[in-house]
Amino acid sequence: MDSSGHQGAATRRAIRTRFAIPAIAASLALLLVPAPAARAADDKPSAADQTCLGCHGADGMEKTLADGDKLSLHVDGDTFAKSVHAPLGCTGCHTNIDLQSHPPASNDIKSAREFSLTAVNICRTCHSDKFDEWDTSVHAALVRDGNVRAPLCTGCHSPHAVIKGAAATIEQIPCQRCHQDIYKAYLGSVHAQARQNPATSYAPVCSGCHGAHAIKPVVTLGGPKAACLGCHADALEKHQAWLPNAALHFDIVSCPACHAPGAERQVDLMIYDKRSQAQVTEEGVPQFEPRPGATDTDESLDAMALWRLLTGLNNTDRTSNIVLHGRLEVRTGPEAHRLAAKTKALSNCATCHSHGSDAFENVTISVVGQDGRRIRQEASPGVLTSAISTRSVGGFYAIGATRVRLLDVLLILGFFGGLAFWVGHLTIRWLYKHYGLNRS
Amino acid sequence: MNVVYLHPLPVRIWHWINATCMILLILSALQIRYVGLIDVTSFKTAVLLHNWTGFVMIGNYFIWLLFYLNSDKIKAYHPEPPKKFFEGAFRQMQFYAYGIFVGDPNPFRVTPYNKFNPLQIVLYQIVVLLLLPIQFVTGILLWDVKHFSAQVDFFGGVRVVDSVHVLIFIFFVFFIQMHIYLATLGHTPLAHIKAMFTGYEEFEDHDAAKSSADTSFKGDTTRV
Repeated sequence: MDSSGHQGAATRRAIRTRFAIPAIAASLALLLVPAPAARAADDKPSAADQTCLGCHGADGMEKTLADGDKLSLHVDGDTFAKSVHAPLGCTGCHTNIDLQSHPPASNDIKSAREFSLTAVNICRTCHSDKFDEWDTSVHAALVRDGNVRAPLCTGCHSPHAVIKGAAATIEQIPCQRCHQDIYKAYLGSVHAQARQNPATSYAPVCSGCHGAHAIKPVVTLGGPKAACLGCHADALEKHQAWLPNAALHFDIVSCPACHAPGAERQVDLMIYDKRSQAQVTEEGVPQFEPRPGATDTDESLDAMALWRLLTGLNNTDRTSNIVLHGRLEVRTGPEAHRLAAKTKALSNCATCHSHGSDAFENVTISVVGQDGRRIRQEASPGVLTSAISTRSVGGFYAIGATRVRLLDVLLILGFFGGLAFWVGHLTIRWLYKHYGLNRS
Repeated sequence: MNVVYLHPLPVRIWHWINATCMILLILSALQIRYVGLIDVTSFKTAVLLHNWTGFVMIGNYFIWLLFYLNSDKIKAYHPEPPKKFFEGAFRQMQFYAYGIFVGDPNPFRVTPYNKFNPLQIVLYQIVVLLLLPIQFVTGILLWDVKHFSAQVDFFGGVRVVDSVHVLIFIFFVFFIQMHIYLATLGHTPLAHIKAMFTGYEEFEDHDAAKSSADTSFKGDTTRV
């Protein structure tokens, strides 16, 4: 853990350092921009910008980078002139361009990704608040982790075409570029439909629930429930009017588990440390960090393996602080976004509280990964009904559905044992009397 | 035929409320636990019925407790000295296992202060002083797991608490059959049951003759 932690910190420092110095330089340069003279007028590029557009306005202008990739250098002048950045002019951001030495003789850009990483500094010059938010996001965590697809500023915002309210409509949401399946699911949701109605056009797009820049994994945000309650503040009160133990349901059942009625559901058993009151990270959990003798991560855990896992974790410091917190949720991200109107939500208790309910056919064990997202390991559905799990899965129980099978056997024995006793005793009494063996 | 006033009114009220509650709790528990297999009422109705009946039973328990704490008839629950207990328990088991078949009289004779045979004393002490309180506590914890989460965690989690609750439920499924059957073993099948309504227990003359030598036999008996 220490090793990776140090690596992460080192990467973080490197990014900050790499971003910081150019950012300061860009800030100073911005002070020198002859703003009024260079600004666009009547949505037309300024005279200074026309100089740049003389080359960069040409369709198809691109540059071959050191790694062989092509980097588009084309900027549509009219679009840029209408953008919020037009008043800055080209040199407002591209402060390192010197016409005397431009274009450079040597190819100094290694890759498009490298260029984007450096370009973040330019944005940060003015949008440091947004950068700081982004820096706490799962996207930034992925960048630090070396994920080349994780979005930087330009991954969502086209810097030469940014206009106010660009992401205000469903069609313009930049998230769809990477999260296409979730986007399609959202389009069919009650939220997307509500936006078509002027009276409810305030219904959320992606950023309404996830935030625009400080996008966190749902586990860090306290689950999707926290996002839902942001608008539906009276949800608990409304549920308490008809749902027994509504507060408990709110803790154990994610909103989409009922409000996305067609979704496949699963029980996620999160490994939780009561002492630190936080979810356990993947390191130190053998099933999530394979090592000699540990269970293969491709195998689903059965009740005995789960018991060994919990016992092993607690034996490390001879406590019982490591427990499993169970939660019923939908199985995939897209399904979590296919939210239906509340009239279609699941409200029949028997849907979940009956034996064989499909809600309990899928079980995962999860820990928190380095980037804050959950890492899951499949477990056998039998872990929810095994007597062996009485302690290890002590934190999750759905009456009726996940009842312990051994207790069913004992109930049958108890009922028929009692029945056999009195029927047998009565029969023997009758036989003694019938054959004249009873003196009375 | 002799009669003895065995069951004071508070005890009878407690008993029949308790019996009704226990039947309702067992039936609603079966509906809750086996929804899908049993569909007499909805799950929600069964849960609400189970909860309310449970609270009635808890309140009713205090009728029994307060009565006996304020009555010298609590002696009925006092354990016998070990030697006397084991001898009496052995005789009672012998009666149920053989004597009753050949027509032997019940070796135990009731009085208002000694109305339970040795087996009953042990069993009722376990039921009333141990199992019912545990069932009440676990039931209350399960009634509002969120509110009592600290206590539920203390006992090992909701699954542990529920398992204890269900194990005692299974015992009562067994116990109530035995209780009803043994209640029919009076001098007539309905004698003990009738006594629990009227308060007066009837017993046959040969029992009275034997009991005349029993110094503990000092209840309000009447020959009829």
